[in-house]
Amino acid sequence: MSAPADQRGAIPGQMSFRAQRGISLCAGVDRSPSQSREVGAKKNQSEIPRCARNDIKAAARQLTGRTPKGYLFCLAVLLFAPLALARDFPPEPLPPKPLVLPAPALRVLPNGLKVVVIERHLLPILTLRLVVKSGAESDPVTLPGTAQLVSALLTEGTSTRNASQISEAIDSIGGLVDAGADWDESYVSLSVLNDHEDLAFDLLSDMVIHPTFLPSEVERKRKQTLSGLEVVRDDPDYVADAALRRLAFLGTSYGHPEDGTISSVRRMTPEDLRAFYNNHYQPSNAVLAIVGDIDTGEAFELAEKRFGAWTNRATPLIPAASPAVGSHRIVAIDKPDAVQTEIRIGNLGVPRQSPDYLALSVADQILGGPSENRLFKALRSHEGLTYEASSELLSYQTAGVWLAKTFTRTPETMKSVHLALEQIKRMHDHPITPQELETAQGYLIGHLALDFETSEGVASQTLELLVYNLPLDYWNRFPEKIRALTAEEVWNAARQRLAADNSIIVLVGNLSGFEKDLKKLGPVQFIPLAEVDFGSEELVPSGGRAPQRK
Amino acid sequence: MSRIFHQAPKAREVILAVALFLLAGICEAVTLPRTTIRALTLPNGLQACLVEDRGAPVVNVQVWYHVGSKNEVPGRTGFAHLFEHLMFEGTTNIGADQFSDYVIRSGGVDNAYTTEDSTVFWETTPSSQLPVVLWLEADRMRHLDITETAFNNEREVVEEERRLKFDNPPYGTVVETLYQHAYSVHPYQHMTIGSMHDLDNARLEDIRDFYDTYYEPNNATVVVVGDMDPQETETMIRKYFGPLERGTHLPTNHIRQEPPQTAERVVKLSLNVALPAFVEGYHMPADGTPDAYPLRLASNILSEGESSRIYRRLVYDKQIALEAQSTGNFTEDPNLFFVFAVMNQGHTPAEGEAEVEAELTRLKTQTVSNDELQKAKNETLRDFILSRQTVQTRGEELGYAAVILKDANLVNTEPARFLAVTPADIQRVAQKYFVAQNLTLVEVYTKSAVGEKQASEQGAGEQ
Repeated sequence: MSAPADQRGAIPGQMSFRAQRGISLCAGVDRSPSQSREVGAKKNQSEIPRCARNDIKAAARQLTGRTPKGYLFCLAVLLFAPLALARDFPPEPLPPKPLVLPAPALRVLPNGLKVVVIERHLLPILTLRLVVKSGAESDPVTLPGTAQLVSALLTEGTSTRNASQISEAIDSIGGLVDAGADWDESYVSLSVLNDHEDLAFDLLSDMVIHPTFLPSEVERKRKQTLSGLEVVRDDPDYVADAALRRLAFLGTSYGHPEDGTISSVRRMTPEDLRAFYNNHYQPSNAVLAIVGDIDTGEAFELAEKRFGAWTNRATPLIPAASPAVGSHRIVAIDKPDAVQTEIRIGNLGVPRQSPDYLALSVADQILGGPSENRLFKALRSHEGLTYEASSELLSYQTAGVWLAKTFTRTPETMKSVHLALEQIKRMHDHPITPQELETAQGYLIGHLALDFETSEGVASQTLELLVYNLPLDYWNRFPEKIRALTAEEVWNAARQRLAADNSIIVLVGNLSGFEKDLKKLGPVQFIPLAEVDFGSEELVPSGGRAPQRK
Repeated sequence: MSRIFHQAPKAREVILAVALFLLAGICEAVTLPRTTIRALTLPNGLQACLVEDRGAPVVNVQVWYHVGSKNEVPGRTGFAHLFEHLMFEGTTNIGADQFSDYVIRSGGVDNAYTTEDSTVFWETTPSSQLPVVLWLEADRMRHLDITETAFNNEREVVEEERRLKFDNPPYGTVVETLYQHAYSVHPYQHMTIGSMHDLDNARLEDIRDFYDTYYEPNNATVVVVGDMDPQETETMIRKYFGPLERGTHLPTNHIRQEPPQTAERVVKLSLNVALPAFVEGYHMPADGTPDAYPLRLASNILSEGESSRIYRRLVYDKQIALEAQSTGNFTEDPNLFFVFAVMNQGHTPAEGEAEVEAELTRLKTQTVSNDELQKAKNETLRDFILSRQTVQTRGEELGYAAVILKDANLVNTEPARFLAVTPADIQRVAQKYFVAQNLTLVEVYTKSAVGEKQASEQGAGEQ
């Protein structure tokens, strides 16, 4: 049994017993890009062609409403009756079940640590997740990748346990540990079978409160990180994402690669890591989520026992808000051995707390989400140009970008770029249809039941609220808020972001296959892959030769 | 769609013995939740396995067709997967791409995947959608309606998928190379995605034949896990799938089995990648066979977690590899046990192979301690429990047990097989399978950045 290709980001809740984890060399094949059901994960699906069935249903509805228009409608449908009658239709769904969202218990310890407990007794398992509300955006400007290296070292030694003792302790009880840094957050999570809860609290608090950043361990992780960075430099998907981020988040603290650059990782010292740790890893800047087979009272007790003595040093230094984002430009990165071109188009987005976030989320569903996906339809269903075409909102604490992405075989590069731009223009120029709105709303509201299925899911949904300072009843009110959005509001939210015609376009592929036609689109900056420097806002080494414009 | 059933036999309802078993040694307090399976076979041969799980108001439906890339013949590689794509292209009842819309507008998700052994279609939705989803699956099992345009379009989509997953990413073709050399007659020799050449040559005419051969109720298993009443779900399944006619020409075992390998095979590749790497593949037995269990535990001992042997030696202590792992690709027919590593800059595949060889030798010459074996078992049981967290992963395990391992109840009984493994079993399987004559090795060398730069500079000079 082949593992699905994308297992790297799998959270325990998604894990299949037989699935392989870590770097997978065995790629499975799926009908659509993502088989995962991770929270926030996107799967691309196609737009529904409206067909006879919907017309008949609409007519029936009109008929029972006994409007004159309804009769006319019905008559029109009956003219096509021979075709319609030859078909069989799916049954109606059962009445929807009310979704009862679990109410997390929240307590703030005297040191400011927020503790959230979610009891789930379906399985004998307990997950602890400690989140620090600072991630890669808090990397020092000259040292991208600091947050990630800090988090990676938490499992590699404390004042009382060395790296081997930590891994031995976790592995021997069948525990699962994960540490990392994303945008706006760093985390360590530990899952154990429920009879090891005391050890789990002990280990997690030890890793979070007493890491040592031993020089020998820093060297190990540095070497590993550098090797990883060398490998991904040849991965067109990574290069395209990183380049688009650099240009679209220009002037914000979200533009650098979160895993750092070869130069920054080489330069980082244990002191740099400790400085980041001291500044950000403080109880008043952290949340501990406890989910699974545990009693709430006991959970708070254990949290108090193991994290109560954690002390604050000073107010964490948070990077200043700088919502400016980059403006229109086209960059083409040359990888002569590529058989496909990776295509990224960035536009304005919104920060996570923006009042427009929900309306833009609906617009994003319509442009490139799983429902009514216009990009997927235009590029894949109609033209067979790609396996995937999607869009997503990169919405953070202080900045946001609306990203569209796809890829195609080299000769079809320009056709695909034009089709994607056309869909973005259409989103700006034309209102969305009521059917598109209805489907997107249906998806977002109905999908909550899936998001809250597992302990991990409940934890991530809750942690998102705490990281972004959103009200704790956010998800309870989410359905009514989504349902209240009108087509006009959704379109307006989208139109505002697309008004400046600011598309930032990044292509990574074999330039000789599309270079000439690309220039017709406007001034293009061409960069050979080997010369790309993600450490520079210009993508080429600062102080080096000027960007080559043809 | 109501029709008269042929004499529907009473559901072969399998109520399994209620036996919550304690996991000795792991922890007295932990009990593995038992799965109660309602299993049925319809007169047309369709099988179904239903499991009630009221943890959340969601339900997962899967239809497993027992056809995968190992059923493909030379010249037609990639066909099973290409066909999987076509199953979304409309039926005589619903239009192209409408299928997913029914799922998505409810908030659900759907997809499908193809492996060497099976093709699986699944939907996870709010539980109210269950009748809709079952109807849709029954509909496309026998009423597919594919146009030439849709066929050509999807073939191009699949070719893009091949480029994305194999031809364009670094190391993308390494495993394909390994299988080409490790197998000589068994169809595992080719990747499920198929070759570009065969995809180019796929014809619409072949579709009907493939559909009528394999997409029949008697070659399918329906799995439903989640918030539903098994009795009511059985009624729906009988209603929607019952009228479909049994297929008549399901081929019987035509797959040529691989003869034992007699000598080590080595392949060297030079790729445009930053770091050298290697993949070793040892032939091993099929999933579900007695030796599969100690081999799985051996894989944990070698590379699960940072305290595991291969990780410890290559990545942590010697720091010669970025990543090093072992894992068995367990399938219906005998497949390969992998060990692979991506080497750090300045270290050769040979260095890594020597270190792996040292660990494999240690496994063959010294019995593992009870503690280390227990650790491997605990990790396995953890994964077993974690896989029960979602209706989708539960459905996955259930379908796999029913279709590939031919015993749905293994979702309950398989942990006991792991627990029974002894240190001597680990040593025995290591000695039996991790031998040179059973090995195919692919070494990956970099077209070194320096060398390439020099070459291109020289090239430029000559021009």
